Amino acid sequence: MPTNQIDRVWRWQITASAAAALLIAGLLAIGFGPVNLNFLAIIKTLLGLPNGLQDQDRTLLLELRLPRVVLGALVGAALATSGAVYQSVFRNPLADPYLLGVASGAGLGATIAITNGAGNLHAFLPLFAFFGGVLAVGATFLVAGKRFADPSTLLLAGIAIGSFATAFQTYLQQRNSAALRPVYSWILGQLTVADWDVVKWAGIYILIALFILIRIAKVLDALMLSDEEAYSLGVSPQKIRLIAVAAATLATATAVSASGLIGFVGIVVPHLVRGLTKRATNRSLLAIAFVGAAFLVIADLGARTLLSPAELPIGVITAFVGAPFFLFVLRARNRGA
Amino acid sequence: MFKQRSRLYIVLLAATVLVGGMPAIANGASITKYPITIISGGYSTLISKKPTRIISLSPSATESLFAIGAGKQVLAVDSLSNFPKSAPISDLGAFEPNVEAIAALKPDLVVLSIDAMKSLVVKEALEKLKIAVLIEKAPEDLAQAYKGIEILGIVTDNSSAAKKLTFKMAALIKSILNRAKVTNKVTFFHELDSTLYSATSDTFIGKVYKDFGLINIADKAAGADSYGYPQLSAEYLVKSDPAIIFLADAEYGESAATVKARSGWSGITAVVKKNIFALPNDIPSRWGPRLVDFYRFVATALAKVKK
Repeated sequence: MPTNQIDRVWRWQITASAAAALLIAGLLAIGFGPVNLNFLAIIKTLLGLPNGLQDQDRTLLLELRLPRVVLGALVGAALATSGAVYQSVFRNPLADPYLLGVASGAGLGATIAITNGAGNLHAFLPLFAFFGGVLAVGATFLVAGKRFADPSTLLLAGIAIGSFATAFQTYLQQRNSAALRPVYSWILGQLTVADWDVVKWAGIYILIALFILIRIAKVLDALMLSDEEAYSLGVSPQKIRLIAVAAATLATATAVSASGLIGFVGIVVPHLVRGLTKRATNRSLLAIAFVGAAFLVIADLGARTLLSPAELPIGVITAFVGAPFFLFVLRARNRGA
Repeated sequence: MFKQRSRLYIVLLAATVLVGGMPAIANGASITKYPITIISGGYSTLISKKPTRIISLSPSATESLFAIGAGKQVLAVDSLSNFPKSAPISDLGAFEPNVEAIAALKPDLVVLSIDAMKSLVVKEALEKLKIAVLIEKAPEDLAQAYKGIEILGIVTDNSSAAKKLTFKMAALIKSILNRAKVTNKVTFFHELDSTLYSATSDTFIGKVYKDFGLINIADKAAGADSYGYPQLSAEYLVKSDPAIIFLADAEYGESAATVKARSGWSGITAVVKKNIFALPNDIPSRWGPRLVDFYRFVATALAKVKK
């Protein structure tokens, strides 16, 4: 990548606009749902003012709708940010959690949990998915061997590992026809079972990962130019790659285990933000996190309301909206270049 | 009443049996005359002689075959056909049929679900090997379920036993409904999995509940998918406040306790009154002789419901 394409200047106004977009998306998502709630009463309830929602409506808002919106924001931020980081680290605009086998590995872990799942799945699903994701990315590194710093070798290894994990997952599904439905609905991706418990642990892991990634954003910028540039800042490129990939994998695996495989966020949102602002810097990570969160919150609002009172799988919406939008951004960007 | 019914069934059979003529009805025992061409699940099958080496790749058909006395004609059944215990269970998959594995057993008839992967391609391939294939389709109501059993009767030359079975099932179900039907408005939620997939009254299972006069909260979501199995949103479910919850996912670990522990569910009438019933495995998804057991289960549950 030619050096002059990287614009290191980042204005705080862009990040602030992204945060505002998330706020608006959040308010819309809290205001609308399959059940009509009075918007003023919702705000009063959230702010702890008198005359808020009572009884069942209060439960609906606080126990069902709110955790779902928060989880959607967390998952969206995690997927978008880790996508952006993978793209920087591997200097490949198409790198995302899917290409590296992380999502498939996490999916395999979760399927193992579901197909062997007696008892409470909520307790085991995240653990299995996380280990699956870590194993997949670990295997990808091992397979790539000494050349793990070579982006194309690593990506090819990731694709192979991902295909292997997916094949194994499909095999497990075939052998366990009885568990087909839960696996299937989980794979389509959904936030339907969000509760504060899920939000709590997903929030802890995702926020830790995002904090690390945003802290190392400046070094990642150097890494995007060349390994030499990184050395000149006094950091080992290999070490930074490892930290960045580990943190991004933590975020992805947590997102996958909380909500299934939701495609396209990791690739659409970074390109959207960088395409619109024409700034390909990792200083944009926070803005990408906000926009990713807003995107998924709105997509989930669609999932909840378009077929109400039935659900539409959110993965369908993100791909349906995401794919054409991505093509549009790609084309606009090529024209501008 | 009986006469009218039997006339109806004769008409049905006449419509079913195209070639080879009507099964002769003499002294109450019917004998199928082969060869016969029969239409099942919308597809026709030529049966050249009385099948004695049947492979059933449908758990429902397996139950029916054994209940009508065709068990001794059954060579092997698929890996999910766990009832009756005497059925010769094998490794054959019902959902992803393997033509070579099936052909290796040299069957003369294969009963295959239309929902199996590439079922029609499998049917064609087996027919090229001179193996007859009977297509099974999930029934939409009781009449179709009975008809399916009676078709198996004709094909295996057990018509009178099959008809006796369906008459007995109809009579039992009628008497169960007579005793258990609810007249006031009682709502229920039929849970397929913990992500709140359900079944509307358009589905076979939904019609069973409807027979009892129950109100299905999933019906508001009818039309969301073409199969009648929509995924309900949790908000809607809590708001519609079902009086009864039937769990079809008990084998995946769901129970009254896990339902109660769900966030926001503790105030639902069914949870408060403890009207949560774990459905027995398999029975609700099979349209063979044990349909009566399913009706009986719902009736027993309704008797326990607290208002």
